[in-house]
Amino acid sequence: MMTTKTAVEPVDPVREERTGKVREVGSQAIWSLSSCKPGFGVDQLRDDCMDTYWQSDGQLPHLVNIQFRRKTTVHDICIFTDYKLDESYTPSRISIRAGTNFNDLQEVEVIDLNEPTGWVLIPIKDIHEKPIRTFMIQIAVISNHQNGRDTHMRQIKIHSPMEFRGIGIEEFGNYVTVACQQYSCIR
Amino acid sequence: MQALQMQKQSSEGLMALLRELGTAYLHLSQFNCRKAIDCLNNLPPQHYSTGWVLSLLGKAYYELTDYQQAVRYFSEVREREPYRLQLMELYSTALWQLQKEVTLSTLAQDLVAQDRLSPAAWCATGNCFSLQKEHDTAIKFFQRAVQVDPTFVYAYTLLGHEYVTTEELDKAMSCFRSAVRIDARHYNAWYGIGTIYSKQERYLLAEIHFKRALSINTQSSVLLCHIGVVQHALQKTEKALQTLNNAIANDPKNPLCKFHRASIYFAAGRHAEALKELEELKEIVPKESLVYYLTGKVHKKLGNTHLALMHFSWATDLDPKGANSQIKEAIDPALNHSQAEEDTSTTHPGEDYPSEGSSAPQHESSQEGAEFVSMRDESDESL
Repeated sequence: MMTTKTAVEPVDPVREERTGKVREVGSQAIWSLSSCKPGFGVDQLRDDCMDTYWQSDGQLPHLVNIQFRRKTTVHDICIFTDYKLDESYTPSRISIRAGTNFNDLQEVEVIDLNEPTGWVLIPIKDIHEKPIRTFMIQIAVISNHQNGRDTHMRQIKIHSPMEFRGIGIEEFGNYVTVACQQYSCIR
Repeated sequence: MQALQMQKQSSEGLMALLRELGTAYLHLSQFNCRKAIDCLNNLPPQHYSTGWVLSLLGKAYYELTDYQQAVRYFSEVREREPYRLQLMELYSTALWQLQKEVTLSTLAQDLVAQDRLSPAAWCATGNCFSLQKEHDTAIKFFQRAVQVDPTFVYAYTLLGHEYVTTEELDKAMSCFRSAVRIDARHYNAWYGIGTIYSKQERYLLAEIHFKRALSINTQSSVLLCHIGVVQHALQKTEKALQTLNNAIANDPKNPLCKFHRASIYFAAGRHAEALKELEELKEIVPKESLVYYLTGKVHKKLGNTHLALMHFSWATDLDPKGANSQIKEAIDPALNHSQAEEDTSTTHPGEDYPSEGSSAPQHESSQEGAEFVSMRDESDESL
């Protein structure tokens, strides 16, 4: 299933997490890269610091593989890139693939970026407009700005929708008022 | 001789006081909260206004799910005896339930500044971050509470709840089991194990563990509510309704018992009873979007499309953050339905509006009318 999107407005993933609708699940996954320059690898991609980045060191497409320990519902992926700082290292076309392992990945989303400066939010939906459940996500950089070979990515966050707080309300959603929420669970 | 008599009198007085305090403590440990409150209220004022008594009162109200009152007593304790750390973790949880971010953050900072080796302080900090939805950080702090005092049961329970939120159910299970190992009467941990099983849809095991928790804390309407929901999931509908009736009798202020009862009536096809329940709920929690959503669903099932649409639109209005996308999905098919109904129902809108107006949430009725008219206009155009 392939949809192509043009430049998406920058968002703030931390604000999204604060609403309590999604939570970051990258820490529950195993990250690997197709290639990286020493000192510019997975740690720099997941350190919550926008000054450090991943720099690839191989052939296109550059891959970020995220393997979860169990099937996880993925709501969206947030990627921080900055054209002003990285210029020809900034990805311009990113493909998101999902599956159970390296051998059966299927493309779920393709996104075109046009000089992004900040967070790019890529919602991940299946044909029924629901978040997908998957064991593995692969973020592939297909091409860079100005036809650069290697790519820089400063931060990646994966969001999963929050489970319902309280019992027996899956078909309804979450309570909105504190008056109801305080009775919804014992802590 | 006089001195001996005085000594005897004072020791009798002391014994009497200790007996009263002991009775109150016994009642509270057995979760007879109201009796405990009565006992404690009967104490002479110089003993009543001590940190120990006031914090026990706070705990009693906390166990009655009356978090507002609990917070009142605990804050008084903080004022009178700011060095007191016992039961402050319950204060932090009460603030968590009431979602008072600022107060909780202040409490956590004060407690940690006072004693870095107190598990209650780290529990409060963990609760603070959990309220901010930073669950990984909360887990860190609850782990620290466990480190600081491995015999502090509540830290394990809180850690377990956080793991449930981050869906690490195996870790959560081991936390709850540790809690129960340390204190088998810690009903919160039994409840926690129940929630794990109910998330895994193993409702029989969930019911067993919720009932175990209930056997310890017999007056908790929240537990009864959970048991009712789980029984309904196990198709024991009559039992579920009975359990929920118990819960409502126990604590009429708990809106969720009525909500779950209404949803069970709806699932069982008892629409009139469901609607009655929901009408009462509209008075109790007028701003709760889910009440209107469920009412809308009942009306949709009954074929009252206009009423359904009205309630769905109220539900959406009350849910500005769009936390519940189900509502939007429910509106679309109802809208298509109304196109077919257009020809048959001519007088319905006019009749229904005045009667429903009284139970509307704080809205201008003209705004409602305008919204509804615009929806009808859309359906006209598509014809």
